[in-house]
Amino acid sequence: MEKQPSPMTSVVSSEPSESGSQTLTISVGPQHSGSGHMRLIIEMDGDIIIRASPDPGYVHRGTEKIYELRNIIKNIPVIERPAIIDASNLNHAYIRAVEELQGIEAPPRAQYLRCLLNEMNRITSHLYWLSIFGVFLGHTTMFMWPLGDRELIVDLQEKLTGARITHSYIVPGGVRRDLPQGMKEEAIKRTQYLEKRLEEYDKIFFENPIFTARAKGVGKLSRDEAVKLGAVGPALRGSGVDYDVRKDEPYAAYPELDFNVCTRQEGDSYARSMARIDEIRESCKLIRQIVQKIPSGPFRRKAPIVVPRGESYSRVESARGECSVYLIGDGGDKPYRLRFITGSYRNMAIIAPVLIGGHMADMPTAWWSIDYWPVEADR
Amino acid sequence: MTTPTNIPSLEREDHILDQLKEKFGDAIKESRVSRRSRPEVTVAMEKMLEVSRFLRDELGFDRANGAGGADYLRDQKMEVIYHVSNLARKETRDIILSVKEIIPRSSPKVNSLVSIWPSVENFERETYEMYGITFDGHPHLEKLFLIDNWDGPPPLRKDVRIPTD
Repeated sequence: MEKQPSPMTSVVSSEPSESGSQTLTISVGPQHSGSGHMRLIIEMDGDIIIRASPDPGYVHRGTEKIYELRNIIKNIPVIERPAIIDASNLNHAYIRAVEELQGIEAPPRAQYLRCLLNEMNRITSHLYWLSIFGVFLGHTTMFMWPLGDRELIVDLQEKLTGARITHSYIVPGGVRRDLPQGMKEEAIKRTQYLEKRLEEYDKIFFENPIFTARAKGVGKLSRDEAVKLGAVGPALRGSGVDYDVRKDEPYAAYPELDFNVCTRQEGDSYARSMARIDEIRESCKLIRQIVQKIPSGPFRRKAPIVVPRGESYSRVESARGECSVYLIGDGGDKPYRLRFITGSYRNMAIIAPVLIGGHMADMPTAWWSIDYWPVEADR
Repeated sequence: MTTPTNIPSLEREDHILDQLKEKFGDAIKESRVSRRSRPEVTVAMEKMLEVSRFLRDELGFDRANGAGGADYLRDQKMEVIYHVSNLARKETRDIILSVKEIIPRSSPKVNSLVSIWPSVENFERETYEMYGITFDGHPHLEKLFLIDNWDGPPPLRKDVRIPTD
């Protein structure tokens, strides 16, 4: 980012070279493009992108400093803010780090309830991503349908936690509330309906030649590059790597649940998109398993409001990939240091390689297929 | 601390630490296994590049999950912590090795590990702007999240106090 255009003049042409060619540098953003404020500085030769630099930080709130000023319970809502539609997954990573230091473990029923909310969050996050994808591609129906169907799951979340988003449901020692009456039947019915809807999505969108022509072969990311740059989540699994924290280091109730890791081999925008759609199907199955298998017993046990001296590192598979919390405690009620690395923060590294070499007109497809969420990356 | 996951043997973790101690001797200042899948090692800062290369090439730690800093104002020291893991071998994917280096607060300067694990590039940039730790050999050591005209102290240092009510 040695030569940045000033925010006031967003288009800069280079001096013509000896052969007379010129490149054009444009600033995409930082206005809200459907996913939080961020800027991409893109240099083009004709309409081919030859350089791309993400310029994050427009929604940076210094949360890692804030965590050091609040006790571990007051930190829960702050932890959830970076990804409000995937709040419980982020919170789960944090609570697991706290519990590890405290040396306590939530009861089995709580572990199932945590996974239940995690999977519902994964579905709502992926559906939200899909509807914005519809906006980016000018497909109005694909904007309306997923947002509408998402309400079904958001309603379930509200039934379970009392809040549509940012539930603050997972707390040290368990969860805040037990499974409400009628939740089991409702969850089965709604996930079955959602699965049927996904078939209709396929017909109108994913098998639509207009979509496949714009997504297949666009924004290629090879397996090696994805691993080298530290990509996570569907962005990594779309490049053929079967890495999923729920399988590779199973936590909560996941060791007892049956599900597949959804990978695709092609590494293009289409593969990354389909990896997410496959995951919605898996999450539907997981939700039904959870409500059917959930053990009885307490859903919360007493936990102290203290971070004992020591260190812990915990990670979960959030909707956008591996989310990790590295916690240093000094015996007080506040974290001494909390390092919080989210899926989008990791995936920031693959924005440039996915865009470079492609057409400017393909930029929205390639970029959004990563599901990079600026707020989650900036924290 | 006797949760069921902590009971199984820690052979794999111990083996990693033993190999490091055998190869680098005194450069490994501290090593322990805090719990299952979580070995920790503190490395002398001048040997960090060498140890990292050994970790990647010989012990199979092909992936850096993160990097960050920590400030210990009272002891006048700072730490840079890398968390590395293995992606290629499925059976050891759960192990996250924490590799630490302790640096004096008066001259916070370490070698960048971008040449070993390219994925730490952004994490080192953030540590640079938030702790004022310089990473030698980093390809673009510039601010990442902070605004361009930020001229205050590195905000995550412990002597930077935020007024709270």
